[in-house]
Amino acid sequence: MTLAEGVQIVSFGILAVMVLGSALGVVLLTNIVYSAFLLGGVFISIAGLYVLLNAEFVAAAQVLIYVGAVNVLILFAIMLVNKREDFSSIPRRWIRQGATGIVCFGLFALLGTMILITPWSLAPTSSAVIENSIVEIGKHFFSDFLLPFELASVLLLMAMVGAIILARRDIIPEVAIAKEREIVSTSLTLPERPREIASIGSSPTKEQ
Amino acid sequence: MDFSISIANQLNAATILPEGIVIITLMVVIIGDLIFGRSSSRWLPYAAIAGLLASIIALYFQWNNPEPIAFLGAFNSDNLSIIFRGIVALSTAVTIPMSIRYVEQSGTSLAEFMAIMLTATLGGMFLSGANELVMVFISLEMLSISSYLMTGYMKRDPRSNEAALKYLLIGASSSAIFLYGVSLLYGLSGGETNLTTIAARITDASSSQSLGLAIALVFVIAGIAFKISAVPFHQWTPDVYEGSPTPVVAFLSVGSKAAGFALAIRLLVTAFALVTEEWHFIFTALAILSLVLGNVVALAQTSMKRMLAYSSIAQAGFVMIGLIAGTDAGYSSMIFYLLVYLFMNLGAFTCVILFSLRTGTDQISEYAGLYQKDPLVTLCLSICLLSLGGIPPLAGFFGKIYLFWAGWQAGIYGLVLLGLITTVVSIYYYIRVVKMMVVKEPHEMSDAVKNYPEIRWSLPGMRPLQVGLIVSVVVTSLAGILSNPLFTLANDSVVSTPILQSAVVTRELPQNNVKVSSTVAPSTQH
Amino acid sequence: MNSGIDLQGSLIDTLKDFGLPPGVAKAIWLPLPMLLMIIGATVGVLVVVWLERKISAAAQQRIGPEFTGPLGVLQPVADGMKLVFKEDVVPARSDRWLFTLGPIVVVIPVFLSYLIVPFGQNLVITDLNVGIFLWIALSSIAPIGLLMSGYASNNKYSLLGGLRAAAQSISYEIPLAFSVLAIAMMSNSLSTIDIVEQQSGYGILGWNLWRQPVGFIIFWIAALAECERLPFDLPEAEEELVAGYQTEYAGMKFGLFYLGSYVNLVLSALIFAILYLGGWEFPIPLERLAGWLGVSETTPWLQIVTASLGIVMTLLKAYFLVFIAILLRWTVPRVRIDQLLNLGWKFLLPVSLANLLITAALKLAFPVAFGG
Repeated sequence: MTLAEGVQIVSFGILAVMVLGSALGVVLLTNIVYSAFLLGGVFISIAGLYVLLNAEFVAAAQVLIYVGAVNVLILFAIMLVNKREDFSSIPRRWIRQGATGIVCFGLFALLGTMILITPWSLAPTSSAVIENSIVEIGKHFFSDFLLPFELASVLLLMAMVGAIILARRDIIPEVAIAKEREIVSTSLTLPERPREIASIGSSPTKEQ
Repeated sequence: MDFSISIANQLNAATILPEGIVIITLMVVIIGDLIFGRSSSRWLPYAAIAGLLASIIALYFQWNNPEPIAFLGAFNSDNLSIIFRGIVALSTAVTIPMSIRYVEQSGTSLAEFMAIMLTATLGGMFLSGANELVMVFISLEMLSISSYLMTGYMKRDPRSNEAALKYLLIGASSSAIFLYGVSLLYGLSGGETNLTTIAARITDASSSQSLGLAIALVFVIAGIAFKISAVPFHQWTPDVYEGSPTPVVAFLSVGSKAAGFALAIRLLVTAFALVTEEWHFIFTALAILSLVLGNVVALAQTSMKRMLAYSSIAQAGFVMIGLIAGTDAGYSSMIFYLLVYLFMNLGAFTCVILFSLRTGTDQISEYAGLYQKDPLVTLCLSICLLSLGGIPPLAGFFGKIYLFWAGWQAGIYGLVLLGLITTVVSIYYYIRVVKMMVVKEPHEMSDAVKNYPEIRWSLPGMRPLQVGLIVSVVVTSLAGILSNPLFTLANDSVVSTPILQSAVVTRELPQNNVKVSSTVAPSTQH
Repeated sequence: MNSGIDLQGSLIDTLKDFGLPPGVAKAIWLPLPMLLMIIGATVGVLVVVWLERKISAAAQQRIGPEFTGPLGVLQPVADGMKLVFKEDVVPARSDRWLFTLGPIVVVIPVFLSYLIVPFGQNLVITDLNVGIFLWIALSSIAPIGLLMSGYASNNKYSLLGGLRAAAQSISYEIPLAFSVLAIAMMSNSLSTIDIVEQQSGYGILGWNLWRQPVGFIIFWIAALAECERLPFDLPEAEEELVAGYQTEYAGMKFGLFYLGSYVNLVLSALIFAILYLGGWEFPIPLERLAGWLGVSETTPWLQIVTASLGIVMTLLKAYFLVFIAILLRWTVPRVRIDQLLNLGWKFLLPVSLANLLITAALKLAFPVAFGG
């Protein structure tokens, strides 16, 4: 085992522990702020795994997008609406938690077995050492992944338009309101009268 | 430079001309609204409809394209994809006229609504032709994200917000599951994303790979079943349908579902050809559950939109029969039924919109005695509901008959019998509404109908709604009797699609073998 | 272009001559440049602090520090010692873990970014393919640390300061990245070495400054905002927020913030020098100078001169920019938070986008001048 291999194995071990630990923390901790910060830890550790795979561009993009943008926005959302609310403890909560735990563990065991017994058709060694991964990624983006790449721009445009629509305050000019009223008074009412909002407790009964 | 030229020559970009037209329409809608302001809402919807119709015409000229594969395998424009793209575009073209009045009256802006709806259409169209995993995922997300946005579009209505949030959360988790399954496919095929290559690479479903393939299959089906709202994955449907704006519901129940079925056919038939038995089994279970639960629960609904939600779950169950049949007739009956379903369901939704625009309610009991006040809506709604139930001689009857026939031919007798029984159940709840509207005496009229406003078609945005309504109803009533062109269309598209042809052949071979030899035979057939 | 001095190769060769196996020799080499860089960055901070105090004093017609050491050069050292020996106060009902972690998360990425700062052809810790992109990515981690310390302080001013800092940082990252992207497009690479080499050959005339006049200004504004320097020091605007996210910090934890902000300033200046001012290049191309003097490029002493001149040039350019930043601090008034965000989103973002598009167009039209 050369020095490089040793370093790789040790770093993989550290990163794996970090990923698992912080991911479990995200799920299990009750303080949502901790969960959000640990999520950042998960993202960074995954970026580390990408570096180990020689995918440095993907690693940097992961840090930039997930840590720098997504996680910061999550934190913003949490901190701007940091409203502490005490939930009344549900009786026999441990049964639900236990059931969830069993299901999750079962799924984990299933996926783990699957990963272990499947002969993944991997090339033994990557035949061509890619000199500059960014150039390769760029070539793929503009050849066989051209259509999804361009389509993503439409998707992002619409996501942006939609986010603005949901976030903006509707300012309806007085004239328009007056006109609406006039129409309403003649023949029409609001399309659907708002009814009571379905509360969380009553939704299971409404389901069926 | 030579890199770009050599790539550009292989792209075969003309195949996405219809989608290009939709993108241009989208740009026209956004920029037109930006430049001309509020006054543009008078012509924008018509521009959008014109764009969609132009896109359908462009699709027509693509029929029997000799070179269907485009963008180096990312997009497949065979006849199957063309017909599904046509269904998606047509459903939007019918949905937009009914949304004009609705959106205007709710005081939100029309241009953005149409822009989002066009994006959803675009996502659905690309999804119908996507031949590559990345493409599948991007177009699926495009469809889903636009659907979430449309669901929450009426943000002053708390029900709309609630629906959007539920839809978003469940949808995001189903996307994640789907993505996991797809990534397993990528791994099993040794790093391929093209569906045809994947199918070629996963040839040995030896016992070692079968577990991975099975898990990938289950996860992928979970994602697809969410889109077509088949039963264990249907929980979002009633709440979303009830809360979101009605035109959106119309689109979700037709366009989004059709795209989901297109994805199901392409992905399952090509990439999961090896585990055909398994996915037929899973879909049989889904179909049974959908048929039973959708139809039975629909009986108990008091809200028209919730009833239509459960009815759409049940209808998805019917369409699944064609998918499970897995024969030429099966696939073409699916397409035929979806085409017919488009018009009858959108017709029904148009009537519901019209009624709620005039009275502000969508409770079934409020429809009582509508016949006296508004015979047109009553007639149209009755025709559409009866067609949904499958009463001859309406279009729905022929669609169902064809589906059941295809299923019977393929030997899935149990499922067909269940379909027949649940059809009877479904007729009951559809007829209940019709009876409510027609039979009631004048003194039994509901309050909403008593205060029914004077019918004015001259109000802004009402005329297109009327046109859309008449068109859907005419097609619904005539498509049954004059069903031959639609029938031929559906048949042609299936017969001339290579992936389905090879699938039909490979499916029939193992079946013969099963009867002769042991059950190990199917896996060794390839 | 000669490859210049190769310290790594020489040291490893020397060690191998002592009879060490090559792996061990490499392992001995590995930590050296990193250590050197950390020490260099820290010393650089001391210099900047001293400069800041002296130049501020000059701008306000004061004398500034003068008793500690000649001309007060030891003043920053004294400041640092004070911070180290101060009591480490953690405010009551604050979140002890996040409170401690915050400054660390802020500082580490800044130091990591020094990985890609070149002082010469081979005088760089790693010549990564992603190069400058790594800096952009790493600088986006800092807001997490700011939010962390703002939240953990259990103080409204701190929380507001942290949120402001994060908002400002994300807003200005986008124009910053766009202007860097324009440079990367001209250099056909993200590697800092390639970016400098692309500017070499014509001396001062070849620097990106002339080809990217708009990008150059956008980058400077955005870099100032990223470093939270006045006129953009809203997160710690003392009139409004006491000291922003730093309010509750004392002792070495405050010292880390202080260190981080100055290291970041020097780093931004260095990157700016690399992107727009030709990095280690002398204003007159050295090869030509050597040619006129009749000295061969491979002469050992010339290589040493080139290398040291490269380091000196990089540092000179960087400190010139730091000087400008300090001058700006005392000449420009602070903007309001809404003005700051308006400037970022409604002005810099469109302009930088247009700059990017124009650069792409020019690259297609004049491949000779814009990197083909």
